[in-house]
Amino acid sequence: MGRILALGILGTLACAQVAAAQAGSITGTITTSAKGTAPVRVTIDQKVCGNELPDEAIVVDAQGRLANAVISVVGLKRSVSSETVVSNEKCRFGPRVQLARPNANVRTTSKDPILHTTQAQTENGRTIFNVALPVPGINISKPIGAAGTVRLNCNTHPWMRGWVIVTDDAAAISGADGKFTLDNIPPGTYELRVWHEALKGAPQKVTVVAGKPTEISFQLK
Amino acid sequence: MWGAWCARCHAQDGSGKIDEPTVSVEPMDFTDCKLTTAEPDADWERAIAKGGPGVGLSPLMPGFEDSLTAEQISGFVAHMRGFCKETGWPNGNNNFPRPIITEKAFPENEFLILPAVSHDREVEFVALYEQRLGKRSMFEVSVPAVSTATTPRHNGLGDIEIAFKHTVFTNAGNAATGTAPRIVSLGMDFVVPSGDHEGKGIGHGTVLFEPFISAGTMLSNWYLQGQFKMELPIDETKAERAVVYNAYIGRDTSAAPNTWTFGVELNGENHELALTPQVRKGLTGTGALAASIGAMVPLNEREERGVKWVGYLLWEFLEPLRARK
Repeated sequence: MGRILALGILGTLACAQVAAAQAGSITGTITTSAKGTAPVRVTIDQKVCGNELPDEAIVVDAQGRLANAVISVVGLKRSVSSETVVSNEKCRFGPRVQLARPNANVRTTSKDPILHTTQAQTENGRTIFNVALPVPGINISKPIGAAGTVRLNCNTHPWMRGWVIVTDDAAAISGADGKFTLDNIPPGTYELRVWHEALKGAPQKVTVVAGKPTEISFQLK
Repeated sequence: MWGAWCARCHAQDGSGKIDEPTVSVEPMDFTDCKLTTAEPDADWERAIAKGGPGVGLSPLMPGFEDSLTAEQISGFVAHMRGFCKETGWPNGNNNFPRPIITEKAFPENEFLILPAVSHDREVEFVALYEQRLGKRSMFEVSVPAVSTATTPRHNGLGDIEIAFKHTVFTNAGNAATGTAPRIVSLGMDFVVPSGDHEGKGIGHGTVLFEPFISAGTMLSNWYLQGQFKMELPIDETKAERAVVYNAYIGRDTSAAPNTWTFGVELNGENHELALTPQVRKGLTGTGALAASIGAMVPLNEREERGVKWVGYLLWEFLEPLRARK
């Protein structure tokens, strides 16, 4: 019995390795001609928040490379397995943009000694939850609901903004250098969609071949 | 802690008016006594615990149930109640769910439709409007529409009633010391013989004066409410003098505004006795709309009286905590 089980496990591992070897990947860079916006002047809780905070609606470097864009592979089911944690630190949500699988619990936590709230809203404005974080060190987990784009607000600090892209499609977020990587994509032709909180870009078709990366770039307006 | 947390939106003085608001909706004004006194502690505690989305109010109000203890939340409710600086307002802990027959003691702002169908198919719809006057009083006007059980049926308006009620005693109660809330009100109904008594047999055909006393309290989680009323006709050849006595016991199944409330009334008029088991349900997130249905089952003279179906649909249209702006 034990030998049969061991053989079964070995067989499964072997299959997984073959699948990985046959898979390809998609890499690329997100760029834009849009410029970053001016910093936000802080009018409350300056002791904790500072006098000025960057407006992170458009985070772009000198070469026009854009962070915080989400690239998703339409129809390629792949849930985010790690926990999605929203931190409230120095009056910012961090990270600004995150992924979560549908109906997952999203944990919100604060390091600031002031009242924050985390209000999660769907695209049509319905509130999924709104929880108070009155003291530092608190952790509150709430279900994030169905697939879609969820906006995070803090009702005591109106400039605070975060986004949770709730999806079970394979997805990646562009880094500070505008680059993204989608690993372990089976060969085939896919539609890639790009989402950004302030900018738009057209979807693109991409064909992935086994064993090597496929390059694709998006220009957002 | 009010200053550090709540005052960020509700202002230090509870008025909700601050120079640089961070929310787009101005919060309710807690210095307005008719808002801060009208509803039970449990409703306010739930609003703080669950936030606006949990009680059908503004989603900009966050929930504190994951960050504060129940004792801390009760402390905020007590603080909030303190923004009403006037004395004499009856405390909302005495605002119990309305029974179908028994007149509740707490003054209300509401509009009701009360249908009733007797065993012989007499059908009645009463439209009832209640409005608070000042701190402790209330007036109401009710207009019944009746379809008699005769053959052929007669349809028409019944006797219009105008009533006045005043709370003479109220005690907020104290959950910590185990003191129950208590309330006593006195009132008077005037029955105007507007129904066609002679032609259709609708209404009493005479003016009636109906002085009453209503009282309520709680025993553990049970609501206890009672009413004693005299019905005194001007012309005793047309209507009988009667003694009416009603008692209600019931309880909620949850703290939510849309909870189910199960109760039973003992309804007496002279020697006639009936039991009215009933269920009430809040229909909206804030509980501003509620419905109740019950069966009035006679305990004596069963053959002649039969079961009467009773109920109401209630709209607390003027109650600030319920009627969302």
